[in-house]
Amino acid sequence: MKGRLFLILIFLFLIIIVINIPIFAHKVNIFTYIEGNKVYTESYFNDGKKCVSSKIEIFDNQGNKLLEGLTDQEGNFSFEIPQEEGDLKIVLTASMGHRAECIIRADELRNTTGLVKENLEEPISSKETTEKDKISPTEIIGGIGYIFGIFGIIAYFLSRKTGG
Amino acid sequence: MHISEGILSAPVLVAGAGLTATAVGYGLKKMAYKQMPKVAILSSVFFVASLIHVPIGPSSVHLILNGIIGLLLGWAAFPAILVALVFQAILFQFGGLTTLGVNTFNMAFPAIICFYLFSRGIKGKNNFFALTLAFICGFFSVLLSGIMVATALVFSGEMFIQVAKLILIAHLPVMILEGVLTVFCVGFLRKVRPEILDLDA
Repeated sequence: MKGRLFLILIFLFLIIIVINIPIFAHKVNIFTYIEGNKVYTESYFNDGKKCVSSKIEIFDNQGNKLLEGLTDQEGNFSFEIPQEEGDLKIVLTASMGHRAECIIRADELRNTTGLVKENLEEPISSKETTEKDKISPTEIIGGIGYIFGIFGIIAYFLSRKTGG
Repeated sequence: MHISEGILSAPVLVAGAGLTATAVGYGLKKMAYKQMPKVAILSSVFFVASLIHVPIGPSSVHLILNGIIGLLLGWAAFPAILVALVFQAILFQFGGLTTLGVNTFNMAFPAIICFYLFSRGIKGKNNFFALTLAFICGFFSVLLSGIMVATALVFSGEMFIQVAKLILIAHLPVMILEGVLTVFCVGFLRKVRPEILDLDA
């Protein structure tokens, strides 16, 4: 029994090593910045692929939809800063059930509108929805550890019940 | 194929959670003490598999391996996949905690179907026949998961044919790859440890 499991384990680890994991999360990110009186968004999967023709929706802080549109071939979408007061929430819905959102705060929007031209050369504010893109090996090993631990606990209770 | 938070409507979420809870309960009841190490290992395999990105095709896809997990675990695939998905959601932000039920069901239900369809066949005498079935099992499990994800998304307003086509095209390389992987796994186990394929649900 022990040898059998050991063999499976080795075999599966070999598969993983042979395939050589590029450690990318499987999710979408949306990246926004403000230039002049427009908000620019870039959308991409974590492996760097652009989200082509994905739906972008913009909501105000009451949750009302202000506008919506589709990203272009490069995963970009831009819109003029709406007149509404308050924060803007940008929601990206990519294919196959992927979704990301980010919030642009009102002061960021107002500070940059109608500003002198010298600042327009570079993005004034930028923000990402998720702080980390890449997954650290610690998390992977840790996750495996948690899983073994949980099944260890289940096994413990089962062993008490069956007495062996 | 993890569905993110905030996409599905409440009835779909509740239905998914209910079905998953029932099936996990049944799986736990069925799970023998002796089986535990195997369940734990395959649960971590599922956990890691989604990090293996398949760089072919138009979209962002990864391995799922629910076919082989179903073959080796039977009903215990439900608790195994649920635990793995919990940690994927917490540690990697794949999917989400509210969609856990739906995601688990989408992945584990095809595993059970594969178990009932193929587990007898892959133990058969004829090696070629068994390995062909293993390929179909790996291929079919991903296919079925894709169709189920598309079905879940339909209730949130996407067009079924459109979504299903998108998912299935994106996952075609994964289906083939998982078919091949399942062939290797089953071939290896048949030679080295045929007992492990013997499992009465």
